[in-house]
Amino acid sequence: MKRFLLTLGFFLLIFVGLLYVAPVSAASPPQSNDTCLFCHSQEGFTVELPGGETLLLTIDKSAFEEGVHGSNQLACVDCHTDITGFPHPERTYQTLREVSMHYYVSCQKCHSEQYQLTLDSVHQRALAAGNTNAAICTDCHNPHYQHRLTDPESGAVTPTARVNIPKTCARCHSLIYGEYKESVHGSALTDGNPDVPTCIDCHGVHNVRGPQEGNFAFHNLTPQLCARCHTDASIMDKYGISTQILDTYVADFHGTTVVLFEKIAPDQPTNKPVCTDCHGVHSIKRTDDPQYGIAMKDNLLTTCRRCHPDATADFPDAWMRHYIPSPDRYPVVYYVNLFYKILIPLVIGGMAIFVLTDAIRRLMDRRKGAAHS
Amino acid sequence: MSKDKATYVRFSLTQRIEHLVMLLSFTTLALTGLPQKYPLARISLALMQFLGGVENARAIHHIAATVLMFSTIFHLLSVGYKVFVLRLPMTMLPSLQDVRDAWQMFLYNLGLRKSRPQMGRYTFEEKFEYWALVWGLLIMGLTGFLMWNPITSARVLPGEFIPAAKAAHGAEAVLAVLAVLIWHMYGVHLRRFNKSMWTGKLTEEEMLEEHPLELADIKAGVKSQRPDPTTLRRRQRWYFPIAALLSVVLLAAVYGFVSYEETAITTVAPPPMEQVPVFVPQTPTPLPLPTATPTATPGPAAALTWESYVGPLLQLRCGTCHGATAMGGLSYLTYEDALKGGENGPVILPGDAVNSRIVIVMSAGGHYGQLSLEELSQLEEWINDGAPEK
Repeated sequence: MKRFLLTLGFFLLIFVGLLYVAPVSAASPPQSNDTCLFCHSQEGFTVELPGGETLLLTIDKSAFEEGVHGSNQLACVDCHTDITGFPHPERTYQTLREVSMHYYVSCQKCHSEQYQLTLDSVHQRALAAGNTNAAICTDCHNPHYQHRLTDPESGAVTPTARVNIPKTCARCHSLIYGEYKESVHGSALTDGNPDVPTCIDCHGVHNVRGPQEGNFAFHNLTPQLCARCHTDASIMDKYGISTQILDTYVADFHGTTVVLFEKIAPDQPTNKPVCTDCHGVHSIKRTDDPQYGIAMKDNLLTTCRRCHPDATADFPDAWMRHYIPSPDRYPVVYYVNLFYKILIPLVIGGMAIFVLTDAIRRLMDRRKGAAHS
Repeated sequence: MSKDKATYVRFSLTQRIEHLVMLLSFTTLALTGLPQKYPLARISLALMQFLGGVENARAIHHIAATVLMFSTIFHLLSVGYKVFVLRLPMTMLPSLQDVRDAWQMFLYNLGLRKSRPQMGRYTFEEKFEYWALVWGLLIMGLTGFLMWNPITSARVLPGEFIPAAKAAHGAEAVLAVLAVLIWHMYGVHLRRFNKSMWTGKLTEEEMLEEHPLELADIKAGVKSQRPDPTTLRRRQRWYFPIAALLSVVLLAAVYGFVSYEETAITTVAPPPMEQVPVFVPQTPTPLPLPTATPTATPGPAAALTWESYVGPLLQLRCGTCHGATAMGGLSYLTYEDALKGGENGPVILPGDAVNSRIVIVMSAGGHYGQLSLEELSQLEEWINDGAPEK
């Protein structure tokens, strides 16, 4: 009897509890953004973190609503999931970084595809190794004011977004950005040219690859990387740039080695140069740039000497500069090729004719001999 | 039957060893070289894989080339011995007769002649192959040197000669391999399996068919005789020192050939082109700070009033929520608003700080926008004073 009463009392308690809780939770649905903005739209709303940094708590309401999240009716609490009302739960953040690290995991709720890609990135690997400076979602994308970066129909990165990519990476890679923006690619991008590569065209986006991750795969595959654009006549023809650069490179001693090497030992260091070893990495200049261009004889010699310290002034001519030999350019090579283009068919053809007639004659002789006996 | 039994020495043991060395080095050179000429072909890749990579293949190619150079030196010296010491007839030299033989053979093959031309010790086919090899060795040796020692070569020759050497080396290799596959295969394997390069001998029947004039010479006893021992020794006495000197010179040349130049750094990648540090964050843009930061210090001389102290203090500390936004209906914007209180009634009871809600909440702590102890005591004093506006 006693036990029955206890059980009944227990269930009654739960029932009352439910009665009490249910209307409350119904009355406060996912916090509307207005509730948050009530306070968080105030200008200069900051809090000092124990680490000494200042965390800005102000949200620019109109900028948020113009952004891709705001215009898609996302609620503050969709990302700030741990905030359900006021007062907010107690915080133990020491630094701004800890705040970002706490909240960036929210992104994967909607952007899981991109998040999965980031798991295979140089940033993620650095993060896993304990480097909290490594970029996370919110370092590149501003979750509050981000505008769409891709065209909703084609999925392609919008021209405005493309121009902004290097500036985004520059937040952490400022010196590299300094090199890039002076380069033939970077300066053209700044001028609004959509044909040139931005950071992500070589390093990838989300699954960002770096060149020095304990192996040389990135280095060894550089020719294929550059060739993606540089063998595309639809881009190169506009600038009068040869699309033969890969073929001529592969035909050369360096390129042959790298191609064979890359296929057999893709992640091992090769001692032969790829594109960037001569042209530069981020600071690539026009080859005819009067100061830095490697088509300038002195510059080319300096470049050769990086690996061939004893090279003399004539040595750079051993490299055919991506030209296909012709009577005007590299005539010796051209005429050697021409000589063999004639000699080989002549000799081999002559041999074939002789061998064939000899064989036929011998077969006929043998048949005749057999018939006679 | 006797025709089958009788055999004639065609190649000496050293000649057969020379051939074997040549066979091995030539094949090795072709297998390690051609994949470099056609790096994109699948078979090249398979070969490279088998050889353990392009660097290995190059090392093997270089070794085989060196072996071939040694073999060539040996051949030169032994030819010298035969020509200058033994004074054997130079049967390998090409002559007009070879052209005639070739032409007649061709006519016979076409059915325009009744019989095959009769040939001697070396047929035009063999001479063609031998001299093609000499030409090939010269070209390959020269162009090989240019590629092996490009910096040295570019000191003397125009730099362009190096890619030209590479072009010639590759094309010549194709020519040589095709020639061996067609000419040599047919001539000594398909037409008749000629084993003399291994056994050293030919049967009389084979001799009669391929070298009838030589056979006739042998039968007639015209085949040249070895010189008598005294003459032989006299000739050897001056040939051997010259040959020794020549060997030293040639071996030194080979040593120079293979070791003169280290064209590139051997195992490490080129020095990085770019050496700027990777992680160099920009200085962050300073945060927008609160627009107004009134410092609410209690005026010790002035009277403690809403206007002089409490109003600005509450607006600063609590205004974020209890300002214009009036969270919970409570606003400290004006004196009237403050005294009116919020949805749950007044928070300031003039004259009764202890029971004023603002003091209770602030004393308990945990509320957003906490007052300091000093500020709280000033607030309490003000309320106990009757919460004067001015």
